[in-house]
Amino acid sequence: MLKTIQSLTSLGLLIGAVAACSNPTETAATEPAADPQKVLTIYSSRHYDSAKALYAMFEEETGARLDVREAGASHLLETMRADGDQSPADVIIAADAGSLWRFKDAGLTQALDSETLNTTVPESYRASDNHWYGVARRVRGIAYDPTRWNAEDLSKWDTLALADKTGEICVRSSSNIYNLSLMGELIHRYGEEAAQDWATSIVSNMARNPQGGDTDQIRAIAAGECSIAIVNHYYWVRLGASESEADQQVAANTSFLVPEFVEGSGSHVNITGLAVTKTADDLELVEQFAEFLLTETGQSYITRDTKELPLLASTPLPDGVDQVPTFTASDTHLDVYGENQADAQRLFDLAGWN
Amino acid sequence: MLIVALVGLPVMAAILAGLTAGDGATWDHILQNRLLPYTMTTLLVLVLSGIIMLGIAVPIAWLISQYEFPGRTVFSWAMILPLAMPGYVMAYAWADLMGVAGPLQSQIRDLTGLSARDYWFPDLFTAPGLAFVLASTLFPYVYITARAAFSMQSLTSLEAARSLGAEPLELFWRVALPVALPTILGGLCLALMEAAADYGAADFLGIQTLGVGIIRSWQSFGEPNTAARLALMLILIAGTFLVAARIFQGQRGTQQTSSRWRTPTRTPLSPFAAFGATALCAVILLICFTAPAFRLVWLAVETSARAVDLWPLVRSTLILGMIGAAMAFLAALVFSLSSKRSETLRLTTRIVAAAGYAAPGAVLGLGALFILRETGQALSGAGAIGFLIWIYVSRFTSAGVEPIQATLARLPKNLDLAAQSLGSSGLRQLIRVDLPLIAPGAFAAALILFVEILKELPATLMLRPFGWDTLAVQAHAYATDERLAQATLPSLLIVLAGLAPVLLLSWRLGHTERT
Repeated sequence: MLKTIQSLTSLGLLIGAVAACSNPTETAATEPAADPQKVLTIYSSRHYDSAKALYAMFEEETGARLDVREAGASHLLETMRADGDQSPADVIIAADAGSLWRFKDAGLTQALDSETLNTTVPESYRASDNHWYGVARRVRGIAYDPTRWNAEDLSKWDTLALADKTGEICVRSSSNIYNLSLMGELIHRYGEEAAQDWATSIVSNMARNPQGGDTDQIRAIAAGECSIAIVNHYYWVRLGASESEADQQVAANTSFLVPEFVEGSGSHVNITGLAVTKTADDLELVEQFAEFLLTETGQSYITRDTKELPLLASTPLPDGVDQVPTFTASDTHLDVYGENQADAQRLFDLAGWN
Repeated sequence: MLIVALVGLPVMAAILAGLTAGDGATWDHILQNRLLPYTMTTLLVLVLSGIIMLGIAVPIAWLISQYEFPGRTVFSWAMILPLAMPGYVMAYAWADLMGVAGPLQSQIRDLTGLSARDYWFPDLFTAPGLAFVLASTLFPYVYITARAAFSMQSLTSLEAARSLGAEPLELFWRVALPVALPTILGGLCLALMEAAADYGAADFLGIQTLGVGIIRSWQSFGEPNTAARLALMLILIAGTFLVAARIFQGQRGTQQTSSRWRTPTRTPLSPFAAFGATALCAVILLICFTAPAFRLVWLAVETSARAVDLWPLVRSTLILGMIGAAMAFLAALVFSLSSKRSETLRLTTRIVAAAGYAAPGAVLGLGALFILRETGQALSGAGAIGFLIWIYVSRFTSAGVEPIQATLARLPKNLDLAAQSLGSSGLRQLIRVDLPLIAPGAFAAALILFVEILKELPATLMLRPFGWDTLAVQAHAYATDERLAQATLPSLLIVLAGLAPVLLLSWRLGHTERT
């Protein structure tokens, strides 16, 4: 047994040594280079293969190297806090304005003043102080069973709270950021009390306890467990674009609409965006990267797999996204989602929305 | 003592940070509205999964160790396979199978023409459903300990009971079970602590456990400190289990002094009973491993999931797993052997180790980041790997300590005395007497540690340096984007990577039985 322990220990040490030597970032650094390579470190909460292709294109175009750390936005935030002044991160990419607001609130970001960005990105899709910029849009809407409802029955978020929807609604858990941001806008528009009442009515109209992700809610409609699901547009689009026939069938048997708050208020739109960290020193490179994401190539790669909506109006829509009805974005500033996030969770808790 | 402190530090740091940071606005809300429901749900899930695990593991361990029936040899190792499947992967697979849009319910609707609201179907998305999912991946802990306890039972008591005319069932209830129970409880404690720390499965099924509450406090409310305070509640529950098990074990002296350690010969079953035993084992294996595993394979094939280059992921997963397991094993060894010196030390080490094991990995990750922040270190390069390994050790030492201590507890105290009377002491006794004796438990401990680290997600997610993504990280990335089909490939690879050590463990257990 002692032998086993000894060999295990030495094996561990050996592997440790090998591991240390084969650390990919270190091997790259030891390559002799007359002109030290520029490195841009990205903390990203997105995990799409097309984004990797896009990064490779940027590397080729500029000769800079991109180091990417992918993890949940909250994980990245804590890592950056721990890193403090020594954080290697230059750029944060995160889905949902609520997440980006968190980084700004923690004092981890700085403003980026780029003429190009300011003209390309509409004011409503960037932070009021330019601490973050949107690079793609998504909209939270309603997937429904068209044999059961007309689009007019579901045209506003309030309509889901009506008694005729009892036992009809499927939705995921309240701790999900998409629900928190939606609730954030409701609080902003109607105040805490009315927002909580809305949530309470939704809970009493639920067909089942909140569970699974957005895609599961749409599948539940097709299976007949409910007839209304609160979901982001791209989950519905992806089902239609899936290689699985069963998934395509689910999309074909459901419809999708984008509700408003009140007539003419516009709809709850969110973004995937980019923020510049406080510790970023090569702001020129950061700017170059951000502008690259907002070129037509950048836009089409960002949205190709995710089925988000491009921010540049000139970029063609990804396959299948044309099925989403056109909508007008609400004029609520996206900063609101983050500011109201903790209140949104508290009100959901009180309303019994698990 | 130093190692104990080292292992305990990250949890302590997280809790310290939680207690000293002052009340966040959320704490009042959690205290008034959420703490009680979170705790009650957690306890309900733990009690139910404990019952399920005992109900599955003890009977099959008894059958496999005492009787001869078709397929016994295969089942004896195959029953450990579920351990290779992470709880969150099991939850994805079962949610897909049992969900309203899954194959089972779709079949029912196609066959009967009913709509989803017209019939009753067991709902997986409930506390009992979560208990089932967790129990089906964690019952092997109980099975391993129960089988070891039944197989290594001294012949004397069983024979004495038989000669007194005890029926097989009576033998089980009145002789074998009481003797084996303390050991089995050790395995159950381990499994329950792991269940308590679960976040992935509970979150996916939408069950409001403390684990979910902890992550929600952190991610929705943005208050890591509140999260750490909630983690303290989990640690209290785990500590209670350990102390309760200890008291129970203390009441029943179980030291075996008979020298006849040979495995009792197995009784052949009648054809009818043998069929029953085979069927029982087959059904349990089907539910706890084969069905979910095949569903994953099916999903991967159906959607022709394309893999990004998975090799770097496999490599970093294995390297981290091996170093982590080796280090955690050494810590567990030191813990266990030093605990022989005094009862206080024994309980302290177990609780320190248990605190890490019962806390969700995310809490340890937060503790680690807190330490980094306080010491002004950045998370990069080889240092970061060392740091991650440290967290693995802190998190999993308990999974190593328990099997080793279970073996130690069964050893007659007079062996120590004999060794001492023969002039053996200190290091010499350690090498010549202690280590060979605990070898079977130690071997199990090392393999369990390796499998645990392969599956680890939250701490790896937070602390891994650039280029060190693991399979679990990749599977999680796909799953959070709701691309479960793509998540299946890395998930299956985790299961595959876990299978090798699990098989080795089974083989070794079988081997110990025969000698």
